Amino acid sequence: MPDHSKSSLWILLHSTLVIGVICSLFSGLRIATLNRPTVASIEELLPQGEVHSVHFIGAILLSLIAVAYLCSRVLRHHQSKQHNSYHSKRVTYHKVVTWAGIGLIGSALVSGWLLFSGTGALPLVRTVHFYTALGLAIYLFLHAGVYLAQSGVKALQYILRPVAARQTWSIVFCSLLMTSLLGGWLFLRKVSLHPLPVVAMSPDTVIDIDGYANEAQWGKAEILQISTDGGANFYQGSTDVRIKALQNGQEIYFHITWQDPSESLAHLPLKKTNSGWKIQQQGFDSFDERQYYEDKFAILLSNHCDFAGAGTAHLGRSPLPDKPANWHGKGYHYSPTGQLHDLWHWKAVRTNKMVLADDNYIGAADKVRAGQRRYTAGYQQDGKESGAYRMNWKWYSSEAITPKRLPRDVNRLAPYQQTSQNQTLDWTISWFDYQPYSKESDQVPTGTLMPSVLYTSNRFEGDRADVRAKGIWKDGHWSLELVRKLNTQSPQDIAIKDGICMWVSAFDRAQVAHTRHTRAIQLHLGKTL
Amino acid sequence: MMTRFFLLFFLPAILLGAAIIHTPQAPQPPQYHLFKVNSKGKAINAWDGPWACVCDSRSGLLWEVKTDNEDTHDGRWTYSRFLQNQGVPNNGDCYFEADRCDTEDLIHHTNREKLCGTNHWRLPTSTELRSLVTTEVKPGSPSIETGYFPKTQRGDYWSSDGNLPLKGVYRYLKVGGAAINFINGQTITIPYRNAAFTRLVTNRSSVCHITHQ
Repeated sequence: MPDHSKSSLWILLHSTLVIGVICSLFSGLRIATLNRPTVASIEELLPQGEVHSVHFIGAILLSLIAVAYLCSRVLRHHQSKQHNSYHSKRVTYHKVVTWAGIGLIGSALVSGWLLFSGTGALPLVRTVHFYTALGLAIYLFLHAGVYLAQSGVKALQYILRPVAARQTWSIVFCSLLMTSLLGGWLFLRKVSLHPLPVVAMSPDTVIDIDGYANEAQWGKAEILQISTDGGANFYQGSTDVRIKALQNGQEIYFHITWQDPSESLAHLPLKKTNSGWKIQQQGFDSFDERQYYEDKFAILLSNHCDFAGAGTAHLGRSPLPDKPANWHGKGYHYSPTGQLHDLWHWKAVRTNKMVLADDNYIGAADKVRAGQRRYTAGYQQDGKESGAYRMNWKWYSSEAITPKRLPRDVNRLAPYQQTSQNQTLDWTISWFDYQPYSKESDQVPTGTLMPSVLYTSNRFEGDRADVRAKGIWKDGHWSLELVRKLNTQSPQDIAIKDGICMWVSAFDRAQVAHTRHTRAIQLHLGKTL
Repeated sequence: MMTRFFLLFFLPAILLGAAIIHTPQAPQPPQYHLFKVNSKGKAINAWDGPWACVCDSRSGLLWEVKTDNEDTHDGRWTYSRFLQNQGVPNNGDCYFEADRCDTEDLIHHTNREKLCGTNHWRLPTSTELRSLVTTEVKPGSPSIETGYFPKTQRGDYWSSDGNLPLKGVYRYLKVGGAAINFINGQTITIPYRNAAFTRLVTNRSSVCHITHQ
């Protein structure tokens, strides 16, 4: 190691780079825990909470340093040409490692910004981004670790104690860096939105909520295509979502399609075994079922357009220190400011037959309710007057359960015993076609499958029923139509107006492992005809 | 230099290994003044089930828990208020009686089955019933801890307080009984003939005692 110190400018650049790499690396690994269980095994070492913003600020810092570095290289190259100065061509260990580090940072930036833009083959780009991050972690040891091992504290003095002279450039550059960081952050938040024109139509136009979108008005609506990824079960965890929107001055309509190779309707079915009835599940016990679950789709609407779903996504097992940890380690949705965000949750079995999406919201983190095993923080349901589905077990247990009700005629269960994936069955059962369970009346043969979703009425009533929705699955795609009043006047809904933001997520037979996208969708409401 | 290598590479490796080996502890239920009791009268953990009663360790009262099993304790059944020959018999709706239902029917059936190991079930006083009211509830939920008291309806629940003067349009019926409304927790007086919900209580059980703190 040379015995002279570095310039203030170099120290500033290097320190910023270190901060940028560390922020990006640790926050990025936390984000990776969502769909990489291997990374989740070191979750205790990773930050929790709203890490997306930290990740993007780290990315802006690294990008600024990269630009500064490229400029300095060009300048030095130009100067060395002018002065015919000699630079050593000797290849050393640290030179090789540094060049590898530069390559890794470059790769991380390119793949990161591609992911941010949502373009390209997202699963492939995400894989490149992930392995680049792992490479950077190794680079930190090979670069900083080896320097520190070789020179000890002297290495720190070398990179932190500037030469006395030439402070002016540092001050100028520091100011420039801070201004660029702030400007970059504001620019990113402002210009990164996907615009979705909501085409105006006459209030007299009838749109049937049947999932088919065959009305002429849909032909006039513009299509916005969003690539989403990071979900369970989809091909490479990814699906492209196509969205159209219409409004008539009173209501807003959405037609949404997304790829899903299978129509998943067998929602936590019950199976009669030699030791009694059991719930078919592989992760429901920790609220992260990915096998025996219905398909779903979620829409988040907010007056805010911040990253991470309007700032509601807080990752980690315990992002709220004074509240219970979550069972799956992924995190919670809640609003730190208490601001309400609307969440429509369409469920292929539980709500589709009601021609509804479950009208939910994300608000402030709820109080801890001692008797409830699952704490959902800010994710809550709107109130309802009556009507619902119920699960057909008296008490959940991963071992064995007692059904609430059994069919009056066991033959009713015959269609569910076929294993054909192509057969579309109604996986809801009617409360009134079934009778209360008793051991004596349980004549169901061992090995029989039975649906678990009991309909006690044909729909919710009240605030929770504000969103009408119907989905149809055909040829590897779901087609979903939704409608809601622009302003329901409900305290658990937000009014839909020009400029509000929206996020979408698809679930392929998964309870919480949904796809996501980074940039918000901004609604542009045209004037009503 | 070897010490530095050890500190810089070996220690992080140990840290990484420890994080991989360590399994996060599953969430545990917090301490609470309510606890669940199964139908045999045995206390169970907060997140276990099924349970038939809830003990309030602050008051020493054991409460009946409602179901949706269409059994005696189904939360949708309604009862007219009839106690010790006072009130209106058989003016509510349930499945467990050949006739229609009143509060004495529920008390009789519940004592006969020795729910949660006791046969001293009765109607709660309005003060006792009000002790279950909580205001911090989820939208559209009844004013009660639904994690412990599921299938509670947003409606009126009978208390044992009777012979109270009726007002307004019910004045001509002269007297009625006090009920607690689990929408807003208010106490109201309603005619004995009304079909209201009922939750029984006992202060004579072996499982539920006052905790002195």
